[in-house]
Amino acid sequence: MEEPEKEQRRTISDFFKHLFHPSDLFSLLSKDRYRSLKIRIIVLDAVLSLVPLFIVITISYFWFQQILKDDFKDRLKGDIESTQQSVDFFLDERLSALRFIVSSYTFEELRDGKMLTTVFVRLKKEFPGLVDLGVIDSDGIQQSYAGPYLLEKKDYSTQDWFNKIVIRPHYVSDIFMGYRRIPHFAMAVKNENPGNGTFWVLRATIAIETLGKYTAALDLRENDDAFIVNHEGVLQTPSRFHGNVLEKFGECSLSAGKVSVKDIEDQSGIRSICASASIKNSPWILVAVIKSPSYGRIPKIFRNELFFLSVISIFIGIMANILMTQTVVNRIKHADLDRAEAIAKTEHANKMATVGRLAAGVAHEINNPLAIINEKAGLMEDLLEQAGDLRQQKEKFLNLLGGIFDSVNRCRKITHRLLGFSRRVDIGRDVVDMNDTIKEVIGFIEKEILYRNIRLELNLKKDLPKVETDKGLLQQVFLNIINNAIDAIQEGGLIEVSSDVRGTEVVRVSIRDTGSGIPKDNIKHIFEPFYTTKEKDKGTGLGLSISYGIVHRLGGSILVESEVNKGTTFIVEMPVKVYGS
Amino acid sequence: MSRTKVLLVDDEVEFASALAERLELRNYEVRTASNALEALGLIYSYPPDVVILDLKIPGMDGIEALKAIKIFDSSIEVIMLTGHGDGFSVEQGLKSGAFEYIIKPVEIGELISKIDSAKNKRNKGNT
Repeated sequence: MEEPEKEQRRTISDFFKHLFHPSDLFSLLSKDRYRSLKIRIIVLDAVLSLVPLFIVITISYFWFQQILKDDFKDRLKGDIESTQQSVDFFLDERLSALRFIVSSYTFEELRDGKMLTTVFVRLKKEFPGLVDLGVIDSDGIQQSYAGPYLLEKKDYSTQDWFNKIVIRPHYVSDIFMGYRRIPHFAMAVKNENPGNGTFWVLRATIAIETLGKYTAALDLRENDDAFIVNHEGVLQTPSRFHGNVLEKFGECSLSAGKVSVKDIEDQSGIRSICASASIKNSPWILVAVIKSPSYGRIPKIFRNELFFLSVISIFIGIMANILMTQTVVNRIKHADLDRAEAIAKTEHANKMATVGRLAAGVAHEINNPLAIINEKAGLMEDLLEQAGDLRQQKEKFLNLLGGIFDSVNRCRKITHRLLGFSRRVDIGRDVVDMNDTIKEVIGFIEKEILYRNIRLELNLKKDLPKVETDKGLLQQVFLNIINNAIDAIQEGGLIEVSSDVRGTEVVRVSIRDTGSGIPKDNIKHIFEPFYTTKEKDKGTGLGLSISYGIVHRLGGSILVESEVNKGTTFIVEMPVKVYGS
Repeated sequence: MSRTKVLLVDDEVEFASALAERLELRNYEVRTASNALEALGLIYSYPPDVVILDLKIPGMDGIEALKAIKIFDSSIEVIMLTGHGDGFSVEQGLKSGAFEYIIKPVEIGELISKIDSAKNKRNKGNT
């Protein structure tokens, strides 16, 4: 169980890594890092801005739909109520007519078939759908009948409806199939004779088509249905989707009483609204089942507008996002270019500073022998001008000339050293004696060390293996480190340069000073470009980073150990052979 | 008029000895010293009129040596000897009471005229 969980966590963390550092993914698309940066920002920004937009649109959509649904339910309730009242009124009207007949005529008058037929014909004119009319005595025997069938003397005493009318003033039946297999219902009104406790009943049969027009009056759409059922759920009027008359309807539970509107869901998961209302004076319930979605009632043009607005706002959002990203990335690109230019400039400045320092040193070095030459030659001139015995002065002249040649030699050494120092730009392959290299470097700065009263100790191991490397570059590194040591040291301090062999393959040179040392926080930065703790204008902060670069290019390594107020040791380790052979 | 006493302080012995000889040919009385301690000792035992002082000498910073000389006897005039590109030290030297400075390699006529003006100034100060 643990393994897949770990796997999943890794996938998720990978996803976030790619989202925020998607260089791996986008490196496939383009090697141009600005393009990948652009894509990254656009995707992130789009996700961050469009997700809330989608959430708002979705929430509003469902919220709006709920409002529409509630509103629709209210209207449906009203419609159902008014239809219910119409059906109530329909039944009331017919019951009133029957009651009127019962109270206007006596049992004896209506027992006369002719009279009943007259009444039937008149009534049918007023109330279409009337099928027949019958008069039944308190024993349940139909005494007279007006209508299409021969039902005179039919005995109703065992029928359910007759038993019910005995205890009620009127009765409306469920739908039933008559002799002609046409669905219809019966309504009966009772007239009691107060004198002898007997009664008689006027019974009318009515075809159900008359009810159909009321359910049709509801504003229904193509998937909706409206019909009437009895309390047992048996259909009383035909329906569109829920079966024919006398079939059972069980889709929603019906309760007698006031109007109710319910949400239901059938077995296949289709949601619909079921509205129902009991009809007064009858065993019926008016039912409407609405399957069409309520938003179907929103005007199409409005829906289109909403969709159009959403699309336009997303489009504008994405365009703005792209434009903004373009601007930002271009700025970054320019800033990067500027920075690269600045680095190049500073590097150049550093080079110039090094050249300047070197030139000043060289000028100073050469100045001294030049001054000697000047004085010796001047003295010779003085002596010649006095024009004494030149032969007497021969020894003197030779001495002076010797001094001049010595000084010229001094100058030559300096120029040679300088040429050796600046000879190459590319990495050369010299066979180098490390000790000689160190001594040559020290030759450059000996005077400075002397003038600053710094003690210099050399602990050079004899018979070091020769190192195959670039002498000029290596000298540059040592010069740099020793210059730093001089800067870090107070007067009277010590610089110790020692060389050693590690194994047989690596020559190690360490340069130790008793200077101010480097705090722990700074030590990790000292090889970074532009990092300097020297005063302004004294260092470019590039020296050590350049040294680091050179040593690594030559296949060696450079380390630093330091303790505050005790001093710093730089250790340069060079492999005897880098080039493999 | 007595000969001008000059003390030449420079660690380049060859330079100092040749220059000293040239000055002597021009009738100056010259002593040389190759470091600050030696120079201060000579100032005590043989007070010069003018000191020609190299700013870079072992043992003591040239400016410090200049200050020490001025403390010992402020009437001794000092001409600083310097290479190119050492403007800061020259400025400091002038502030600390040096009379003049001259750049190596030295043009002898220029040096002579500077020594003479320094001597004149010292004489004026003494009278």
